Amino acid sequence: MKAPGILKTILLLFLANYLESITAPAFIKIYVAWPVTFLVFSGLVYISSKNINPIYAFCLGIFVDLISNSLFGLNAMLFCLFSYVINSYSNTFKLFSYLQICIFFGASSVFFIGLSNLFLAIENFSYLILFVSFFFNTGLALLIAMSPIHRFSVNRRLSEYD
Amino acid sequence: MARVAPSSSTKALYFLCILLGAILLYVDISYKSFDTIKNTYISTTISTKFLFKKITIDPFIYLYELSSSKSQLINKNRNLQAALDKSYLENFIVSRGDKFFMDDEAIIALMSKYEIDQIFHASKIKLFDTTKYFCCDTHVMYIDVISSSDTDFTGSAVINSEGILGQVISDNGVKEVLLLTDTSHYIPLETEGYFCNAKGSGRPGIISCTYSSLIWTNPVSNGQKIYSSGLGGIYPRGIPIGYVQGITNIDETNIKIDIKLITNPLKVSMLGIIENQ
Repeated sequence: MKAPGILKTILLLFLANYLESITAPAFIKIYVAWPVTFLVFSGLVYISSKNINPIYAFCLGIFVDLISNSLFGLNAMLFCLFSYVINSYSNTFKLFSYLQICIFFGASSVFFIGLSNLFLAIENFSYLILFVSFFFNTGLALLIAMSPIHRFSVNRRLSEYD
Repeated sequence: MARVAPSSSTKALYFLCILLGAILLYVDISYKSFDTIKNTYISTTISTKFLFKKITIDPFIYLYELSSSKSQLINKNRNLQAALDKSYLENFIVSRGDKFFMDDEAIIALMSKYEIDQIFHASKIKLFDTTKYFCCDTHVMYIDVISSSDTDFTGSAVINSEGILGQVISDNGVKEVLLLTDTSHYIPLETEGYFCNAKGSGRPGIISCTYSSLIWTNPVSNGQKIYSSGLGGIYPRGIPIGYVQGITNIDETNIKIDIKLITNPLKVSMLGIIENQ
């Protein structure tokens, strides 16, 4: 599947960051962190038919750092790291079931939250948030994998091979 | 078509990018070198939002209000609301006049010294990142004074109708306010003649303070009221800050107390800046 162009990607990340800023105060009350921006970026790298350039990932990370008022370099570093992991295992993912891929994304989001919290909220680092977030994000990824929208895109993707 | 695994050169590029990210992160944490860029972005966002609203939404609201028979009532209601918010602030200061200033003469002396006709500057919240407030250690908000002023408010205390919120740490048109709960913020406190320097906990509404039981001989109890000590010269003395909510023994002599703040920055959008004396 072709990944969206640079402008669409930037717009998507901007909207994801806005959604994250709205939902975060509500979710944190139930010990859930939902890194929408990171998950959108990971999703884009995952569905892309080509490997993402590291400089492109780095620049998108810097952009997210700027719009989210985060520490400069934090998202840039993590975006690079995860685009590398996804690119490296892109062929291996084809052998995985949807459940395994969803667990991978859940675990990735937990790694992202954990590392972000080490820099942004070290004094309130909470394993409970990481634990609950893992199940929440994995469940959410499963819901998306099972949703009609996703099935439609899978069918379309399969039809390309007919 | 299958995706190719990254080649050695791509891996090297990934490594360089991650390294560059780590260096940027280190520089930002250690030297806060990118604060200007961040503040410029925030100022631009606020200005753009304001302009966008003024150009696109406000004319329609104005037309609607003009055509509506209730428009005058709406305006009056708004003005009354603003006046009410302002009066809450005034009442807060007046009711604690002896706490903010020693006596009326001190207020008059201060006002004449700095040629000001008011003891605080009414302000409104322009941007408050609630995500960071709930999740992270950084608790800041951006405010702007309602009536234009050329005064540099850096170092001035910020209050709302409930009490002290924090202090202005930078003033580039839009004022950046460091809240009491930010982990880099310290406020000197006092209770029953004892003093301690409370640090923001990074949790909403909580600050913490560590003291030695060898110095504080009277035991602290839950619910005990804590006041500002006035030391440091930023905040006035004797303003109620909060109540003791939790007591933890760190070791045999050191005790940490969590203080639940009286003020809630999410509650009121009308704030006041007390000019730095």
